[in-house]
Amino acid sequence: MNLSLFVQQILNGLTLGSVYALVALGLTLVYGILHIPNFSHGALFTAGAYVAFFIVGSLGANYWVGLIGAALATAAIAMLSERLVFSRLRDSPPLHDMIAAIGLLLFIEAVAHAIWGADFRRLAPPYPGIMRVAGTVLPIQRALIIAGAIGLMVALHLFLRRTVTGSTIVAMAQNREGASLVGIDLTRVSLITFAISGALAAIAAVLFAPINLISPGMGNLVILKAFVIIILGGMGSVPGAILGGMIIGFAESFGAFYISTDLKDIIAFALLVAILSLRPQGLFPAPAR
Amino acid sequence: MLRCEGATLDYGSYRALSGVSIHVDKGELVVMLGANGAGKSSLFLAISGLRKLKAGSIRLGEHELAGRKPSQIVADGLVQCPEGRKLFPGMSVLKNLMLGAYVHRNDPEGSKPILEHVFAMFPILREKQHDTAGSLSGGQQQMVAIGRALMGRPKVLLLDEPSLGLAPLVVKQVLAAVKAINEAGTTVLLAEQNAFAALKIAHRAYVIENGHIVMEGHPDTLMGDERIRKAYIGA
Ligand SMILES: Nc1ncnc2c1ncn2[C@@H]1O[C@H](COP(=O)(O)OP(=O)(O)OP(=O)(O)O)[C@@H](O)[C@H]1O
Ligand SMILES: [Mg+2]
Repeated sequence: MNLSLFVQQILNGLTLGSVYALVALGLTLVYGILHIPNFSHGALFTAGAYVAFFIVGSLGANYWVGLIGAALATAAIAMLSERLVFSRLRDSPPLHDMIAAIGLLLFIEAVAHAIWGADFRRLAPPYPGIMRVAGTVLPIQRALIIAGAIGLMVALHLFLRRTVTGSTIVAMAQNREGASLVGIDLTRVSLITFAISGALAAIAAVLFAPINLISPGMGNLVILKAFVIIILGGMGSVPGAILGGMIIGFAESFGAFYISTDLKDIIAFALLVAILSLRPQGLFPAPAR
Repeated sequence: MLRCEGATLDYGSYRALSGVSIHVDKGELVVMLGANGAGKSSLFLAISGLRKLKAGSIRLGEHELAGRKPSQIVADGLVQCPEGRKLFPGMSVLKNLMLGAYVHRNDPEGSKPILEHVFAMFPILREKQHDTAGSLSGGQQQMVAIGRALMGRPKVLLLDEPSLGLAPLVVKQVLAAVKAINEAGTTVLLAEQNAFAALKIAHRAYVIENGHIVMEGHPDTLMGDERIRKAYIGA
């Protein structure tokens, strides 16, 4: 086996895994609040990419301004969806939330389609160059994705573990009534959680966009894989989302290379079926809730 | 201090509370006796704002509580230690206790002596403070739940069957702690099925059946009542 090609696949796996993990992290956090997988999360990924495209492409701003703008705008969209849709369904059966989430997904996609059309759009990388890693080349954008994801994961971890506000999110996920009874406000925690999930999805999308085109449907495959990831990793588990993201990223990158590029997207789902038939509770059963 | 008037609560078409009126005066320890399904937890959850009353009012001092958010009610000084404990099982004991002080998060200094007090009351918690709450025994978890409620600096403390499922010796320890908390100045409303033990520490008691208050009185009166003895004491 050619070593540099092998390293290349590792780097590809890390890149994909980073993007998936960022998306899955938001999904898993919101699961702790809604107790349903938020299908509209994929649309936040799409929305983030388009906001950045608008800021960079149409307003002519710098890539990083686009990234921050996209994170803020998408956090706002996510909070709005919590206020206008999910908070109103809190006492209704879970099926209602799910249907509403799918509706929201289609709505946001349709808005993107109406404004920007169905064409693929490009976002230019901020640093188009490459760097050399262990005898192989790594486009700087991919290095940015990996470094950005690691940085965000560490920040999220510290936020959830070390800050009072972060602890309220974890507390709400572990026992909602218990959290209310110590005086934690469900509305506040929901809003913060949605904002974080939106921002993470947008940042993932904007980091990913320069190596993968922007289109109204770009979130669909990513969100499906994020579901696979949180099911694999255990619904609601933060380390599970990160590890699950990496597993899917690596499986795709190595699968595409050693099996077939055409089968790349099927691999995630095949892996899901295989792992769940062996471990129905997922790799890391979520911490007791 | 705490006063419910005509509290009525429905679950769909099922009426869990029908016109419940009770009051707990400042400094009192009042026991609420009732069999399974009588409506004790429903009343407590309504007081804490987690269930909506169909009719009636709940007042804490001069404040009307009905309609307020659970988080505001805690900040008002009414804290509940719920049935089933409702801890954060994946967090350490210490973190559970610290989250109990969430509404006082801007006064961490003020929480230190209360934490010390909780550790003094339940020394095992000091030993286990870095273990996850979910790994503790049932009795120890109950101590965490009581400690967590105390960290909220309650003026009125609601305890929903804190002795449920505990060994007799631990029940004794928990009820002794409740008595001590009350003697230190906290007003307490205690739901119990363990009537004999609870009446021994109470100033006054109510009996609830099928969502109705059917009796109120001094513990000695209830202890002497034939029906109560039959239903709740088994002697
Ligand atoms: N969420 C709910 N939905 C429907 N019915 C409920 C609900 N919670 C309680 N009930 C019903 O209301 C009645 C009172 O229940 P509650 O939990 O208040 O009783 P309790 O006195 O606390 O009993 P226990 O001693 O077993 O805890 C019961 O008949 C119960 O079945
Ligand atoms: Mg009960």
